[in-house]
Amino acid sequence: MILSNLNIVKVSGIISTDDIIPAHYKHKFTEPKELAAHVFENKFPNLTKKFIKNTVIVSDATFGIGSSREQAVSSLLAAHVAAIIAPSFGRIFFRNCWNLGMAAIEADLYSLIVQKELCIDLDKSHIGFSNKVIPFQALPSKLINVFNAGGLLKYIKDSSLSTY
Amino acid sequence: MSLVNKIIAEHSELDTVDENQIVIVDVDRIYLQDGNSPTIRKLFRDYQFNKVFNPDRIAVFFDHSVLSPNIDISNRLKEALDFCNQFGLRFFNQGDGISHLVAIEEEWFTPGNLVIATDSHTCTGGVMQSLALGMGASDVVAAMVSGKSWLKVPETIWIKTVGIPSTFATAKDVMLYALSCFGDRKFLYKSIEWYGDWVENISFDEASTIANMGVEMGAKCVFLPPWKCSPSSMQKIIPEHQEKTIELNIEGLLPYIAAPNSPYNSKVITEFSNEKIDYVFVGSCANSRLEDLAEISTILKAKKIHKDTRLIVTPGSKKIYLDAINNGYVQTIIESGGIVTPPGCGSCVGTQGYIPASGDKVLTTMNRNFLGRMGNAEASIWLASPRVAAYTAIKGEIPNLQDMQYDSI
Repeated sequence: MILSNLNIVKVSGIISTDDIIPAHYKHKFTEPKELAAHVFENKFPNLTKKFIKNTVIVSDATFGIGSSREQAVSSLLAAHVAAIIAPSFGRIFFRNCWNLGMAAIEADLYSLIVQKELCIDLDKSHIGFSNKVIPFQALPSKLINVFNAGGLLKYIKDSSLSTY
Repeated sequence: MSLVNKIIAEHSELDTVDENQIVIVDVDRIYLQDGNSPTIRKLFRDYQFNKVFNPDRIAVFFDHSVLSPNIDISNRLKEALDFCNQFGLRFFNQGDGISHLVAIEEEWFTPGNLVIATDSHTCTGGVMQSLALGMGASDVVAAMVSGKSWLKVPETIWIKTVGIPSTFATAKDVMLYALSCFGDRKFLYKSIEWYGDWVENISFDEASTIANMGVEMGAKCVFLPPWKCSPSSMQKIIPEHQEKTIELNIEGLLPYIAAPNSPYNSKVITEFSNEKIDYVFVGSCANSRLEDLAEISTILKAKKIHKDTRLIVTPGSKKIYLDAINNGYVQTIIESGGIVTPPGCGSCVGTQGYIPASGDKVLTTMNRNFLGRMGNAEASIWLASPRVAAYTAIKGEIPNLQDMQYDSI
């Protein structure tokens, strides 16, 4: 699958799941749309104004450390983020991304990118912008299958648990 | 074989597993906390799952919102309770305590078993040499329905503690020091096994703090060596590969404090001495155990907390709370001017009181101090040991070493 014409938004510094969505909101709301209104409200108060359809966040540090809250991913998806590129990820967050159909790509591109758009080819494991093609380590086929199915629970539902 | 490889192999149909291999495992136990169980109920409805693999092996804990502060949270808690009853799940109600502590008391973690829960600090189960994994809601739903999960076998790294900390320092200080040394990336998706003279001779409560903050180190899972009176099935930790062993020199270590807004901003206490503190919170799954309460009680005995400083103490479980009452710790804390709340996660995530005021400087025994963690992004949070917290409450400032000398602990 190719994710193309992704709108680039850069963020700098280590990002915790508390930064993405403060904990108390997930105790109040179960609808990602309600959570999306509060994404990054403490760390980067006006950042979500830059999130238009098919946004990719490009980070220069570890993204998604801390809590296991899947709402950190579901709220970003509801805020129009489709992919995240970072040099490293909090591992529970990384897994949550693929489980919900968010592409999380390990690559250190922050200082290379000056463009406004890029594309991610999941099958060929590379990122394209301008005339450049930057490879990333191939993802386990398990993650790609889950992503292509539209998320873990769809994947399980469709396969009638036969994959487990 | 490393502990993580051994446990994953035993929970699959494989004799051995290799690093980075994707393996389907059987899950022994699953638990949910109240911040995620309403979302899990929603996912069950959205995807029309109508059964769980074994309700006796699944529990729901009501620990993050013990005294619900608003209608929205109360409504979500009600939904979570309905969900428990619909599927016949066992639940631990408000006031029973923090999931990870109660799960240990209830023997949900046993050496060699595999537990998944909807909270990143599930890694606390590593104190029992359980493969204890925090996961997101979808992974947990999948496990609840199927009794299985998939794992990528992590690389194991051994940490050897070298030397003995100073008498001022505790396990929490060792962990904050380790975070300052290793940062956020070194152990991402690794399994950590601890060994060495110091870590092999600490108490269960101290070992629990080390296990609890494995996720702050970035680890997938963590394993502690046997402690005094630990189950005989816990095994001595011996590194398999010398090149995968990292030494952590803690000889003469002084207390460490993590400054706002990251656990990795940790420095020796003298860097922060005399910083005025408005609010001290002793609690959370990092430090709310009986030894923690005994320690602050010893320091607070016959003293008053500073007039401008608030002290709130939240025991980790009902059992700990009752033991602390019977041992006189609760009375001492109250007489010193502190407030003791019902057991649970307390003020850690801003889902119940006391929310700090804007501009407040908070010193706490929690494991995280990210911006806004306690419900107000205009407050700043320092992380420290219960010992440092008690002295801070008395002085109204972060203490210097002289302040910590007048009682020999």
